[in-house]
Amino acid sequence: MADPVLALGALSADWRYVFGNVDYLLGGLWVTVGLTVASLLVGFVAGLPAAVVEVYGGRYSSALVRNVGVVLRGTPIVVIIMLAYFAFGISPAFLAATAALGFRSGAYQTQIFRGAIESVDGGQMEAARAVGLSKTQAVRHVVLPQALRRSVPGFQNEVTIVLKDTSIAFAIGLAELFTKSADLYQSIGHTTATFELIVFISAIYFALTFVTNRSLEALNDAVAIPGGKGR
Amino acid sequence: MSAGEADGDADADAGGGVAPDARTAGPRRSRAGTLKYVAGAVLWGWVLLRWGNDWLGGVFVPRGQAFVPPATVAGLGDAIPVLAGVANGLAFAVHYLPNLMNAMWLTVVLTVVSITLGFPLAVALAAARSYGHYTGWAALGFVELFRGTPLLAQLFVLYYGLPWLPAFFRNLPFVGEGIVPAQAVWVAVVGFTLNSAAYQGEYIRGAIDSVDPGQLEAGRAVGLSKLGSVRYVVLPQALRYAIPGWTNELVYLIKYSSLAAFITVPELLYRAQAFASETYRYTELFVLAGVLYLGLVVTASSLMGYVEGRVAIPGLGNAEGR
Amino acid sequence: MSDDPLVRVDDLHKRYGDEEVLKGISFEMDRQDVQVLVGPSGSGKSTLLRCVNRLTEFQGGEITLDGTPVTEMDVDDLRRQVGMVFQDFNLFAHLTAKENIMLGPRRVLGKTEEEAAERALDELDRVGLAAQADSYPAELSGGQKQRVGIARALAMDPKLMLFDEPTSALDPELIGEVVEVMEDLAEGGMTMLVVTHEMGFARAAATDIMFLDQGRIVEHGPPERLFENPEHERTAQFLERLTRLHGETR
Ligand SMILES: Nc1ncnc2c1ncn2[C@@H]1O[C@H](COP(=O)(O)OP(=O)(O)OP(=O)(O)O)[C@@H](O)[C@H]1O
Ligand SMILES: [Mg+2]
Repeated sequence: MADPVLALGALSADWRYVFGNVDYLLGGLWVTVGLTVASLLVGFVAGLPAAVVEVYGGRYSSALVRNVGVVLRGTPIVVIIMLAYFAFGISPAFLAATAALGFRSGAYQTQIFRGAIESVDGGQMEAARAVGLSKTQAVRHVVLPQALRRSVPGFQNEVTIVLKDTSIAFAIGLAELFTKSADLYQSIGHTTATFELIVFISAIYFALTFVTNRSLEALNDAVAIPGGKGR
Repeated sequence: MSAGEADGDADADAGGGVAPDARTAGPRRSRAGTLKYVAGAVLWGWVLLRWGNDWLGGVFVPRGQAFVPPATVAGLGDAIPVLAGVANGLAFAVHYLPNLMNAMWLTVVLTVVSITLGFPLAVALAAARSYGHYTGWAALGFVELFRGTPLLAQLFVLYYGLPWLPAFFRNLPFVGEGIVPAQAVWVAVVGFTLNSAAYQGEYIRGAIDSVDPGQLEAGRAVGLSKLGSVRYVVLPQALRYAIPGWTNELVYLIKYSSLAAFITVPELLYRAQAFASETYRYTELFVLAGVLYLGLVVTASSLMGYVEGRVAIPGLGNAEGR
Repeated sequence: MSDDPLVRVDDLHKRYGDEEVLKGISFEMDRQDVQVLVGPSGSGKSTLLRCVNRLTEFQGGEITLDGTPVTEMDVDDLRRQVGMVFQDFNLFAHLTAKENIMLGPRRVLGKTEEEAAERALDELDRVGLAAQADSYPAELSGGQKQRVGIARALAMDPKLMLFDEPTSALDPELIGEVVEVMEDLAEGGMTMLVVTHEMGFARAAATDIMFLDQGRIVEHGPPERLFENPEHERTAQFLERLTRLHGETR
C-alpha cells in the first residue's frame, strides 16, 4: 500500500486541503449526529402523546394538536430555526436548533404515529375493553405496541429528513458539519475548494442516510410480528 | 351515570377512536372550513391586489407602499390601550408587508417553475425505474444522490462550487435585466428542478407499482400495445394515486424554496432576513414570513385536495386510505 | 340471591341517532342457561349483546347482572365479569396465543406473570391448543384463533359469556372444532348468550332460542318447541332456512 502522504500528494491542492482538515470536519459531524438524535428524541417525546391525544382526545384537545401541527408542518424549517434563535432568544445555537428541529419533527411524528394508531383494527380496542382493560391500558398494552411497529418505515423517513435538515442550522451559525465546511472554504485562499468540500460532506451525509436506512430496515424486520403480512 | 348520557362515549371508545357517528364532526368541521376559505380569500385578494398594483406601476398606492398607512394601525392602539402592543406590531407589519408580498412572488415563481420542469424529468425517471435496465440503475443513482444529501448542499455546489454555472446564466442575454431575474435565481431553479424530479419520480414510481399488474395484462388483452397499455390504462390510474405524494412534494418545495436565500436569491425569506437585520425586529418579520409561507402551503394543499376530489374514481384507491 | 336470574333484560330500548334498533326487549337468563339468539341481518342481535357488557350504551329499560343494573356498575368491573367472543376473533396481533390470554389476568386482575401463564396454559389445554401456546395469531388457522378467543375470555372467570357469531368467519371444515368447545363449555355449566346460525349447536346445547326481527322478539322458547311447533310462520321459515344452510356441519 502506498505511503498515505504520497497518495495525498497525488491529489489536487483543493482535495489536500479537504483531507488536511478532516479532523475539523469530523468535529462538526458529531454536532450533526448529536443534533439529529436530540431532535428526534424531542420529536418522539412530543409526537407520541400528541398522536394519542389527536386520536383519542376530546374535541378541543385534538383540534389544538391538529392546528399546532398544521403550523409547524407548514412553516419552513429555516424560519422556525431563526425564530427560535433570533426571536425567542434560545441559546446556545445548539439548543435553538434542537428545539426547532425537534418540535417540527414532533409534528411529523404525530402524523406517523396517528396513521399507525388508526391503522390498528378497531376490533383490537374493542377486544381489549371486553377483557376489562381500561381505555388507557388498552391503548398502552394493545394499540401502541402494534402501532409503534407499524411506525418504523415512516420513522425511517423522518430520521433522514431531520439528518439532512440539520444542515440548515447553518442559518444560525451552529458549528455542525455543513457550517464547518463553509468556514473552511470561506477562509482566505481556499474558495476554490468549495466544490471539493461540499462534495466531501455530502458524501458523509449520504453515508449516514444510507446506514440509517439499512439499520432501520433491519429494526423493522426484527420487530415484525411473526406470520404478519407485509410489514 | 344514566344509560343515556354515555352513549357517544362508549361507542367512541369501543370503536378504537374512529369517529363513530357524524354527530361529533359535522357542523364544527364545516365552520372551520368556512373560516379557512374566508382567510384564504382575504389573503389572496390582498396579495393579488398588491401584485397588480405594483406591476401596473402603482395604480392604487405608490409601489411598495402599504394600502393602509401604518400610522392608522398604530392609531388603533391609542384608541384601545390594551391592544397597544399588538397594534404596534401590526403597524410594523403593514409597513413591510408590501415588500414581503413582492418577494413572495419570487417564491411562487421558483416553486411553480421548478416543480413544472421537474415533472417530465420525474416521469422519465419513474419509467426508467419501473421498466428500464441500465437506465433503471442510472435513475436510481440520480434519485439516491438527490434524496440522500441535504438540499442546501446541492444549492451550494451548484452556485458556489461550480462557478461556471452562474457565469453561464449571467452571460445569457437579458439575465438580470428588467423583469428577467439574475443568475442566482436560475441556478436555484436548476437545483430545485433536479431535486424535485428525484422526489416526484419516487412518488410516481410508487404509484405505477401500485397499479395492479393485471391492468397492464388486460390492456394487452384488448389489443393495446405495451406503450398504449401504459399510456391509457396504467398512467391514468397511477397519476391519481400519485396526487397525495405529489401534493407533499409541492408543499415541500414551497417551504424549501426558502433555502434559495442562502445563494442570494431575493425571495421571501431573504427579504425578511434583510429587513430583520436592519431593524432587529426579528420576531415580527419572521412571524410574518412564516405566516405567508403557511398561507402558500395551506392554499396549495387545499387546491390539491380539491383536484384529488374532482378526479377521484369510486373504489379506486381513495384519498383517505393512502 | 342465587335464586334470582343471573341476567334480566327489561324493556330494553336502543337507538342509533334517530333509528331505533332495539324496541323493547325483555328476557331472563338463569345460571347455566344457554340462550341462543337468531334473526336476520340487521335485526339487532349484536347490538343486544353489546348492550349487556356496555360496549354500547342504551337509552331505555334496564339490564341487571346478578341483581345489579349494569349501568350502575363500574364498566371495567362489568367487563371483568362478562366474557366476549367476537366474530372476527380480534386476537391481539402482537401477542402470542398464551400472551393474549395472559393480558387480562395480568393487567386487570393483577395476577403475577407465573399465575397468569399457568392459567393461560390450562385454558389453552381446555380448548385443545396447548401446542400452539407460543404461536402468533397470524400463524393460527381461523378455528384455532377462535378457540384462543374463547380461552382468552374464560381466563377472566366470567359469570357470563357472550358469543357474537363465533363461527361465521370460519371455513365450514373449521366450524366443528369451535362448536365442540362451546358445547363442552355449556355442559360444564357456563352461562352463555350466543348469537349463532349453527342449528346443530342450538339443538344440542340451547336451553332457549330467541328469534329477533327488526328489534323485537318474535318468538322465545325451548328449542324443541321452536323447531317442532313454532307459533309464527316466520319463525318456522327462518329456522328451516338456517337448518338447511347451517344444519349439520359436522
Ligand atoms: N355503530 C352504529 N351506528 C349506527 N347504526 C348502527 C351501528 N351499529 C349497528 N347499527 C345499526 O343497527 C342495526 C342492528 O345492527 P346489529 O349489528 O345489531 O345487527 P345484527 O342483528 O347483529 O346483524 P348481523 O347479522 O348482520 O350481524 C342495523 O340496522 C345497523 O345498521
Ligand atoms: Mg351482528
